[in-house]
Amino acid sequence: MTLGSSGGSSVVVPRNFRLLEELERGEKGIGDGSVSYGMDDADDIFMRSWTGTIIGPHNTVHEGRIYQLKLFCDKDYPDKPPTVRFHSRINMNCVSHDNGMVDPKKFGLLANWQREYSMEDILTQLRKEMASAQNRKLVQPPEGTFF
Amino acid sequence: MANSNLPRRIIKETQRLLSEPAPGISASPSEENMRYFNVMILGPTQSPYEGGVFKLELFLPEEYPMAPPKVRFLTKIYHPNIDKLGRICLDILKDKWSPALQIRTVLLSIQALLSAPNPDDPLSDNVAKHWKANETEAVETAKEWTRLYATGA
Repeated sequence: MTLGSSGGSSVVVPRNFRLLEELERGEKGIGDGSVSYGMDDADDIFMRSWTGTIIGPHNTVHEGRIYQLKLFCDKDYPDKPPTVRFHSRINMNCVSHDNGMVDPKKFGLLANWQREYSMEDILTQLRKEMASAQNRKLVQPPEGTFF
Repeated sequence: MANSNLPRRIIKETQRLLSEPAPGISASPSEENMRYFNVMILGPTQSPYEGGVFKLELFLPEEYPMAPPKVRFLTKIYHPNIDKLGRICLDILKDKWSPALQIRTVLLSIQALLSAPNPDDPLSDNVAKHWKANETEAVETAKEWTRLYATGA
């Protein structure tokens, strides 16, 4: 018995149509542009690989830096979160020093993933995380280096 | 039962799609989501898509029938009004939608679009250019893609 688990609405937008919505939103440009994303392979009908960009928040060590991330939406997205990996090197407490993977155990949005969350939410929340007390002053690797 | 609060209109449309399918079109709801349909459209005779079986997916958003269904091709197709991701440029899927239309009419319109590509209102610029510059050659490519991607087991 599957009742609407998300309260109120019981309409479930299937994966592909959800990703098409996200694609269109990404193409239009989000807010002030401090986060953005787009699809890697315009021919991939299943829309799996994405590149996200975060502009480092003001008054932090990240200010002025542009971070690139790779997001991978598997067949079970958005029931399951995408895998998220920094391509640009960054020193941040939820990010692996070895390969840039965002550790879901240390990043609440992935740990407590809900179907309504989007790639935009992930990028926005990571940007907030950069400005948090434990991350805003961490010594950073040279700008423009990659995992 | 899942989807127990499915609007009556959607139930009616679904029943009719299953009991009286339109020629060359099949549409059946997915088991876990009654608003999500697996669709097959046969390439119309005397079109470059003849002999092809095209798979599509269709979703009825919460606002349906006040908002149009969302539809796209899953099978690769060379057509000036269909892009690489299978998105379809068709007026009734956008501003010309009316709640008087149905899933059936939408699918029939898509089938008709396969018979009558419209390169003057393109979604895929390169394909449309090709179509206008050299229609014979573009039609050959469309036939080739039909053989490559829309036939087979």
